[in-house]
Amino acid sequence: MPSPTKLDRRAVLKGLAGVTLALPLLEAMGKEVAEQTPRRFCALYTANGMSLPNKKHGIDEWSWFPVKEGKEFEFGRSTEPLRPFREKLSFLSGLYHPNGPKADPHLCSDMWLTGAPLHNPKPGTFNAVALDQVVAQHTKQHCRQPSLVLSIDAGVGFLSRTGTISYNSEGKPIPAENNPRRVFDRLFRGDRSSLAQQREELQRRIRLIDAVLESTRSLNKQLGQSDREKMDQYLTSLNEVESRLIASEKWIDVPLKKQDFSQLDLEVTSETDKPADYYRNMFDLIALAFDADITRSVAFMLNREDGMGISDTFPLKLGLGRTHHNLSHAEDKEGQLEFAKYDLFLSEQVAHFLGRLQEYKDLGGSVLDNTIVLFGSGASTTHNPTNLPTLIAGGSNMGLKHGVHVRNANTPMSNAYLSILRSMKIEASSFADSTGVLSDSIF
Amino acid sequence: MTRREMVQRSLLQGLAVAVLTAIHLTGGTAKGQAVPEAPAVQEHAKSAEETDFPKQAQPLLKKYCLRCHNADTMKSGIRVDHLTGAAEDRHLALWNGILKQVSAEAMPPEDEPQPTAEERKALTDWIGRALLAARSRPTPRNGAVRRLTVPQYRNTLRDLLGLQEDFADVLPPDGLSKDGFTNHEQSLTLSPLQIEAYFDIAEKALDAAIVDETSRPVIQNFRLELGSKINPEPCPDTLVLGALNELLSNADFVVQELKPKKPFEYTPFRMRTAYDFIEGYAGNDTVRGWKRFDSIYHSVFACVRGTPGYPKGQAQQVIPAGLLLRPAIPSPEIFGQSNTYGPMANFKISLRELPQEGNFRVTVKAARYDDALLLNPGEKIREATAETATAADLAASADAKLSIDKAGLYQIDVFCAPGEPQGLFFLQLGEREFTGHLFESKQGDAKDAEHAAAFAIVRLPAGELKLSARYGNSSRRLKRIVLSRVAQDSEFAKRFVAFEKRPPLLGVHLGLRRDCGSTLTPVGDIQTVSTGDLRDYVFEGAIRDFPSPDVERDNVNYLAGIREIGVRSEYTDGRDMPRLLVRSIEFEGPYFTAWPPASHRQIFIESPHRDEPAAYASEMIRSFASRAFRRPVTAAEEKALLVVWQTSIAKKRTLEQSIKDVLLVVLTSPQFLFMIENSTGPQAEDLDPYELASKLSYFLWNTAPDERLWELAAKNKLHESLDAEIERMIRDPRFGQFTQEFASQWLSLDKFDVVLVDAGRYPKLTRDAKTQLRQEPVQTLRHLIEQNLPLRNLVQADFVMANEVVADYYNLADRTESGLHFVPIKHENKNLGGILSQAAILAGLSDGREANPTKRGAWLARKIIAEPPDDPPPNVPQLKDDDVSKLTLRQKLERHRNQEGCAKCHASIDPWGIPFQKFDAGGLFKPDPEMDSRSTLPDGTEVADLTGLKAYLAEKRIDQVAFSFLKHSANYAAGRSLTYNELVFLREEGVKLRAVDYRLQDMLRFVIHSDLFLKK
Repeated sequence: MPSPTKLDRRAVLKGLAGVTLALPLLEAMGKEVAEQTPRRFCALYTANGMSLPNKKHGIDEWSWFPVKEGKEFEFGRSTEPLRPFREKLSFLSGLYHPNGPKADPHLCSDMWLTGAPLHNPKPGTFNAVALDQVVAQHTKQHCRQPSLVLSIDAGVGFLSRTGTISYNSEGKPIPAENNPRRVFDRLFRGDRSSLAQQREELQRRIRLIDAVLESTRSLNKQLGQSDREKMDQYLTSLNEVESRLIASEKWIDVPLKKQDFSQLDLEVTSETDKPADYYRNMFDLIALAFDADITRSVAFMLNREDGMGISDTFPLKLGLGRTHHNLSHAEDKEGQLEFAKYDLFLSEQVAHFLGRLQEYKDLGGSVLDNTIVLFGSGASTTHNPTNLPTLIAGGSNMGLKHGVHVRNANTPMSNAYLSILRSMKIEASSFADSTGVLSDSIF
Repeated sequence: MTRREMVQRSLLQGLAVAVLTAIHLTGGTAKGQAVPEAPAVQEHAKSAEETDFPKQAQPLLKKYCLRCHNADTMKSGIRVDHLTGAAEDRHLALWNGILKQVSAEAMPPEDEPQPTAEERKALTDWIGRALLAARSRPTPRNGAVRRLTVPQYRNTLRDLLGLQEDFADVLPPDGLSKDGFTNHEQSLTLSPLQIEAYFDIAEKALDAAIVDETSRPVIQNFRLELGSKINPEPCPDTLVLGALNELLSNADFVVQELKPKKPFEYTPFRMRTAYDFIEGYAGNDTVRGWKRFDSIYHSVFACVRGTPGYPKGQAQQVIPAGLLLRPAIPSPEIFGQSNTYGPMANFKISLRELPQEGNFRVTVKAARYDDALLLNPGEKIREATAETATAADLAASADAKLSIDKAGLYQIDVFCAPGEPQGLFFLQLGEREFTGHLFESKQGDAKDAEHAAAFAIVRLPAGELKLSARYGNSSRRLKRIVLSRVAQDSEFAKRFVAFEKRPPLLGVHLGLRRDCGSTLTPVGDIQTVSTGDLRDYVFEGAIRDFPSPDVERDNVNYLAGIREIGVRSEYTDGRDMPRLLVRSIEFEGPYFTAWPPASHRQIFIESPHRDEPAAYASEMIRSFASRAFRRPVTAAEEKALLVVWQTSIAKKRTLEQSIKDVLLVVLTSPQFLFMIENSTGPQAEDLDPYELASKLSYFLWNTAPDERLWELAAKNKLHESLDAEIERMIRDPRFGQFTQEFASQWLSLDKFDVVLVDAGRYPKLTRDAKTQLRQEPVQTLRHLIEQNLPLRNLVQADFVMANEVVADYYNLADRTESGLHFVPIKHENKNLGGILSQAAILAGLSDGREANPTKRGAWLARKIIAEPPDDPPPNVPQLKDDDVSKLTLRQKLERHRNQEGCAKCHASIDPWGIPFQKFDAGGLFKPDPEMDSRSTLPDGTEVADLTGLKAYLAEKRIDQVAFSFLKHSANYAAGRSLTYNELVFLREEGVKLRAVDYRLQDMLRFVIHSDLFLKK
């Protein structure tokens, strides 16, 4: 049976529905929402692996993975910009997707957040649900948008060189956004007519759910001596769904947090000659979205696998000698060094992002403390889907203990994903092909 | 699941164990001869236990258990404070657990005060008596409320709305009950996530079913025609398709947009032909730069990229009459092991636009080609005599004319100058064209430095024959071709006759271009092309059921979102067969025969009240809700739904929108989502006719009742016509939905779905072979039921149900010509027949590398003879990898079961698994002298091998096999675990079916006619 307190709450919320409120978030959403420390997730993907130079070139200090393991690890030259966050991040090595080596290695970005058997998909599908969407499923009732899916290239690209890392529960790619202005307008400048439409749709759903609740209750009365347990489960679940919808509807009335947008330059696009400007704007937008609690799940594909898309040219724009894909294939010393220098560039961007998250205050600490940031690639070096470069930052308030380089040899990446879900208090018994959570790790 | 639910669930699962244990208990040592005591005795005994409880049991529980197992602490989730002397049903599993723990002296734990031996005995005695009494008292029947399983929901929605689409794939899969079934009320949980999915699905499905009557549909219809040089104006552009593409030349196909004849007005869809793209793909690199394309041949083109090559002949060949296709040989598509571009012979139409929704229809104009049988490497050239042979001299010219005196079969031998092989040999005989390799014939000594090759056998009419040949890119090396008559009664002739009779199997697939691998998914059933005349073959599907990621509106990538319509001659086992001739392929979608479509008219029914919205809405609601609820809607329900409609209409929604709102409520109401058997009290009652119709229909069809069942229920005639209905339902194609579900769950075929086969050890167990082998147990069961054959065939049979793929797996390929149809094949092999030697079972019970006798034994004990072993104890020690890594799995298992604490259970499992020892993890018999398959079964019978075990089960233990079938099917039919009394009933009454050989249809009837099915 639904608990009476729930019904009361619902009635109260329902009574308020439709009245435009200018209440601060805390009062509008009720104590239990506001007092819960938010748990957020952000996945950042870089394609073609990281530089792990050949020993013979004598440039080991440019290896992306720290040379030492454990607490004593040392940053390499390409990860040096991340040093200020030493106590807020960790390197994880040895992880891989067991399905990785079975599929074409160019698919590793498609698989990165899903772990799916792309070489043998379920009939009629291509991929499986991505980690960010599992998170979104559980965090969506606490914020305005279930998730934010960003990529260097808009849309989904084409299959098996997909331009997004996020897949819905049917395994279909979710089109990504790549234009800072469009992202900004959508997230921070929602227009009135679409809001009104959204409200109308939510109210319709609530009305219909009410009707179903009504019909369930009256059926329940007719049921004589029949077993009511299923009916109770149904009523409880319906109530839960309805209160989620009511919460969503409330969001429409909650004014956006006052934020400082002065650092944004919304004229920048991915076609820029200065890739750093583009990434900084995108990262600033993500940080602002977290700060305003617009969403709690973000996936951002920084560049595309293989020689796809505009990002392939970024190294050239930075004065390096070859395209991203060609650098990743380099065997010579100069090429491997340049590939590492591109890693350095990416580290600078990620460091900027972590810095922003650190600046924003949040319940119980900074936004960074309430956000698990996953940064990595689907291949260690290009097309080699083992020992996936993985860096996890933030999330101290979710129990993550940082400042280490943990090696879990030949362990499914999905185990790390399951650990992330558990840290976020998402009750999942498994994720993709996980065999358990990561033991002796940072979670 | 909440903690309370979890505890409840585990208790209920435990109950099943308790009930089964009870059979052993009361049955004494002889397995399964359980006879309950007379109820009167138990009524008396029950009160005795209740009286004794405060003296004999309660004080001991208080003294030794309560400190940890109270309502607050609930150590291990167990509490004993609420237990009473009544030994209520809901506490039986707990009592059973306590009994086990206390008698094994596992509880109280060592470091706690221990009861004396007398105390222990007093407690266990009391529990034993209480359990015995409780198990045989009549169980109250309180109806049933269980939600539809995902497949039931999918089928019901599809039948109710008349839509082909599968909307249900977003639902989380159902859990398995303790008995392995997904339809058990206890395992069918509900969560908010699921409810949200129900709402979303209903919304989508109603949008698809209901149209705006005033609108005109937009219909896409085009045809691609094939034939060499058919297109006088091919597009001159090079298509920007990246690495390793292979296209048919645009000169060889032509695309035309059509306007189909329809009995209603519509707008023809015209494909967009002008595009601006900035991004393309050359090799592995992105090419950037704006480029404008404007031709229908950038929107539709013919792609043949697949795994290159073909073992015999050419994968595809364009001739003036169309495109010839050889069977598409599947590729495992595993990177590093094989090419990942799909099968060999992989023809598909690539195109940019297809409708977003609705049904579509693909019409293929095709024929069986009047083909030549290509000969194999090493086959001999024919001795040419003047009487039987005609030669064409090609030394000077590639063309020649021959005169064929007698119609009949001829072998074509090719003679050419020596040199390296130079590719394919092309031969045109009259209008027909053949292509193949010239395999050097070993027989002719290379005198005169001449190479000879036996090329093919062909049927020729009498008369003049024009001939033209080419070897590789020239004909320079060709010397002559000799046609020799093949005697009608020769082996060669027989081979050819078998060959020319084989019909190509036409398959249509729909998917999305992938840079590697394939997303092509079959559209409808494969069709047999058994005539040489061109005919239309129609394939239908719902577009949503096929992969279709959205491309952003302003996409500027040349390769994004390209869809593919694959057309194949389907492969079975590589036997020679005539090529498939494809003349044209036509697409139409959304496909409507009427407007508004039937799905809409089923909701917006014909009515004299169409002009009175309120009356009409009432009528529609009554009609739809009754069909959805599978019984007449009640006045109160109708009224409540009408209120929903009134509210919607008041909110200025259109009639269609407001009806959608009501229907959304209907489709998310428990009356639709749940199967409800309403009960007025704890005594057993008859199902009402509508409840019976539903129960029957979900049992035998896994979907809602059809009109006839509804009518019989309405006239209250269903009970009396039950037998006729069962027969009708078993003959119906929907019965396949029962066999598929029931066989999969009873026999745990899901294990086969997930087993990771070691491709190195079992190269024949490919993905495609697995798909077919997966059907073998299902088809076997279906055949046995449909033909009402004796149950012993399930374990021991002189036939296997197989198609060519399955037959080939068991080396029986030469015994069938059934294509992909499953037919019974006499195997004449003592190691085959019955489900125990089926690959889907045996490989499923392995790890894909090594056979596992324990898994096989436990499966047999549980599934086939219904003597389930106890669950493994929670503290099974892991086999440590480091110290036993050099041991085989078998040795590891031996070591494991010799451990103390393991041996006892394994004694009732392993003897059933040992006889399988000569069957490998791929499920095939391997005469391995190392493997010992002799086993002493738990009742002392010795069997030498699986054949012995099968005979033992089919003869000596057939009653037990029958009980197992009854138990599992009754379990599935009732959607719950059975009570003790019900199991006893099945055992005692079921055995009467032995007199009629335990025929399977009879057994299903028996279950349906029993109280466990007919009462609530």
